[in-house]
Amino acid sequence: MEDGGNSVILLTFLGTFVRSTTPLLLASLGGLYSERSGVVNIALEGIIIFGALAAAVVTQLTEASLGDAAPWLGWLAGMVVGAFVAWIHAIASIKYKANQVISGTAINLLAIGVPGVLLNALYNSSSESKSVDHALPLWGFGDSLRFSPPVYFAFVMVIVTWYVMYKTPFGLRLRATGEHPKAAASMGVNVYTIRYTGVILSGVLAGSAGVFLSIGFLSSFTRNISAGLGFIALAALIFGKWTPLGCLLATLLFGFFRALSVQYGGTDVLPSSLVETLPFIFTIIALAFTGKSQAPKAVGQPYEG
Amino acid sequence: MRQDTAQGPTPFAGRLSASVAGVALLGLFIFPYATYGRNFGGAGLLQLLVGGTLDFTGINPATLPDFSLSLLLAWPLLLSLLVVIWASVQRKSWLWIAGLSSMVIAIVAIVALKLSLNLEIDRLVATGMRLNKIIYLAGGANLGLALPVVAGLVAVVSSLSGMKSWKGRLERFRSALIPLVSILLSIVVGAVVILLVQIVPNSLTVPLSAIQQWYGKADLIWFVYSTLIAPITNLADFSRSLLLATPLILTGLSVAFAFRAGMFNIGAPGQMIMGGIFAMLVGVYVPLPAMLLLPLTVVAAAFGGALWGGIVGWLKARFGSSEVINTIMMNYIASGIFVFMIGSNSFAFLGHKYPLPFKAEGFEGKSAELQAGAKLPTLAQMIGLDKVGDTASLAWVAGLLIFGIVAVALQGRFKDQRRWIFAALGGLVATGLLWIPFTIVADGGLLEIRLNASFVFIALLSAVFFAVFLWRTAKGYEVRAVGLAPKAAQYGGINVAQNTILAMVIAGAFAGLTATHYVMGAAINGQFNLNLSLPSNVGFDGITVALLGQSTPWGVVASSIFFGVLDTGGLYVDQKLDALTRDIVTVLKATIVFFIAVQGFLGKKVTDPTPILEHKDPPKDDPKDPKDAHKDDAANDLKLNKKVS
Repeated sequence: MEDGGNSVILLTFLGTFVRSTTPLLLASLGGLYSERSGVVNIALEGIIIFGALAAAVVTQLTEASLGDAAPWLGWLAGMVVGAFVAWIHAIASIKYKANQVISGTAINLLAIGVPGVLLNALYNSSSESKSVDHALPLWGFGDSLRFSPPVYFAFVMVIVTWYVMYKTPFGLRLRATGEHPKAAASMGVNVYTIRYTGVILSGVLAGSAGVFLSIGFLSSFTRNISAGLGFIALAALIFGKWTPLGCLLATLLFGFFRALSVQYGGTDVLPSSLVETLPFIFTIIALAFTGKSQAPKAVGQPYEG
Repeated sequence: MRQDTAQGPTPFAGRLSASVAGVALLGLFIFPYATYGRNFGGAGLLQLLVGGTLDFTGINPATLPDFSLSLLLAWPLLLSLLVVIWASVQRKSWLWIAGLSSMVIAIVAIVALKLSLNLEIDRLVATGMRLNKIIYLAGGANLGLALPVVAGLVAVVSSLSGMKSWKGRLERFRSALIPLVSILLSIVVGAVVILLVQIVPNSLTVPLSAIQQWYGKADLIWFVYSTLIAPITNLADFSRSLLLATPLILTGLSVAFAFRAGMFNIGAPGQMIMGGIFAMLVGVYVPLPAMLLLPLTVVAAAFGGALWGGIVGWLKARFGSSEVINTIMMNYIASGIFVFMIGSNSFAFLGHKYPLPFKAEGFEGKSAELQAGAKLPTLAQMIGLDKVGDTASLAWVAGLLIFGIVAVALQGRFKDQRRWIFAALGGLVATGLLWIPFTIVADGGLLEIRLNASFVFIALLSAVFFAVFLWRTAKGYEVRAVGLAPKAAQYGGINVAQNTILAMVIAGAFAGLTATHYVMGAAINGQFNLNLSLPSNVGFDGITVALLGQSTPWGVVASSIFFGVLDTGGLYVDQKLDALTRDIVTVLKATIVFFIAVQGFLGKKVTDPTPILEHKDPPKDDPKDPKDAHKDDAANDLKLNKKVS
């Protein structure tokens, strides 16, 4: 009897663990594409919010006519909007050579204001969207281990990203533009195109993280739905030393802490407010000892070609 | 070159002035000219220059205020604008006269509108109508009459920029170009958002015709923007704006100071929280007399922020880790500690419960109340307004202003102290003359606004400290040198690591001082405590303010007040329009930051030109490489395009 109780708790925890990891993993893989191409992307937070908003709104507006297909269209919308927002960041940072942190900050600020304006216009509420009847389906087994497709997508993307980064010409070019854009350019690589692609891919992935939050986990968009996930993902990217496998391990670690604080927050085991800060403390320590040498050399520098 | 273009505007300034005047000229006809009034939902009763009145309110009053004088003035205004266009295209040196006359005519027309509105309001009040029933209170100019003022101003500035004697003076304001253009562009973006989201407010039962739609949309944009900046026109709302501006100034200075040292401080929210925690610890628990407690609490607030910023500075100096990431991490750590301390009065660890003393009784997450000695009074109390009906004069504020203006105007005129005597005389005379007109009577609305001593004595003094420290002390020079060129600074014998830490300590202290506003000044809800509702997001607004203020102390103060006004105006937009909320202000702020990031799409030639000083001293065929001078100037500006390491 007690064994059964424990395994239920364990399975529930495992489910929470996977769900806390997913958005972090997607966003941090997104950050990977952008930063390895040489563009700092602190706009991840904002892109997640825009992705979540687009998915929730498109699903809600189309589900009457499309039914079960609506959330898939919502996911597509989340990716497209994520890509579009990232593209704005790319134009500022690549074409206009803006300070990438400032441009990212502007997008994060937009992500605070625009949802309020839009939700109020569509749903007459500035804090949440109408909840959707058709969220993304749940696949899996048992009661606690059923996940929406973005979860599987996230873990598959780790392998895909690893393959793209290290086994394809595109990956080589992407890494080269992040390390030494001039050298890459001298070998005939179009630094601008590669960087645009990197940043837009980061938008697609971070947008998907938002999609998971709004229609893969909850069933509506709420204000500040991301609550800092984009920044934690950025931390995971650094903690994982800008590699796909590192991202996976770092987000698993951070996801574990998030799951701990979700699962045991209300109980008398751990003070959840302090447990939640652990990923950040780890990141600071990791950054102190490994940070600078691991970062792409040209990250944050506009390319003057 | 002909005689009169010698001192005329540059071709670019001429084209600019001509096109703005052209828009204003068209605007007289294609935009509403004036507003008679508005009902509660913002629907307007409009006057067109050609085409009579346009009523969206459905009230259709029997008599309207008499706008005939203003309408008559439109025709000389039209003529004057035509002259501006012609003079701009021909680049005449006297363009400024035409520009000025357009401005004056337009302003006279606006004043005439207000006068006739007031006459009608007085008449209605005399008939016993209640004030809130009178729609004319919201009347005034509209887009058609406002644009000529702008066009006139642009013409004057364009004209002066061509004159040798004025060029140098205007050149000093060139750094304001990017913020101004960014604000303009974001106004355009905001207008598109407004039109997408909000339908033309109207109380009519029939659908609007195409013409009504057009004028209605133009009026809507004017209505939103004029509502947003309206708080500058009355004392209670302006006080509220200053209330909102106080923490913005401090967090803006925090971000700006770090910018000056070549760092990006996204950690103001965390530093605010730590400042709040330390101020609370001292203000609530340290038993001291008020004389000592008050300053110690202020120091504690600064210390909390300084600690949080200093850690990041140390990490950067010692390990070279990016302050961008670390400040973000420190924000979350601070908010974890904050919730831990204030959110509950006990905490659990592995099955045991341990008590925590900081949270006060009750559901709300808040600390105990500060001791009386640590509380800051409101500014209203400080000038003697304690209860409804008390009076005080603000003439001395005008006096100080005149003092400053005279002192600046007479700079370099006298060798001895006469400049200060004249300035003091001017200030005293102004104070005396304005004593009666500037007397205010406290009403409930004004008294409930918790604009407190920390605006003047902490925020403004911090700006003064910022200016003096960075530009008048050796240490400040070192900080700036490190910010501009760390390698060169190190080569010149400056300790880069030490200055990096110092800069983050001071930046953090500025943000920490917001606690004097929130905790000691009870700015949130009149409670003198540390509250979980502390709006630490203001720390992010600090970034916006620092960018808009181009990291100068007075730029930060001005943009903070500007945003404070917009935030206050946003509350009225919330009330009056159904679909549009104050989130539009956040959108405006975000787009301003974005446009500043891309330098307002302005070219390097405009934002970073060869300085004018270069032409003064050396002869014309000076062999000095102009590229060097360009570099000096570039070094003088904040280089935001530095690598974010």
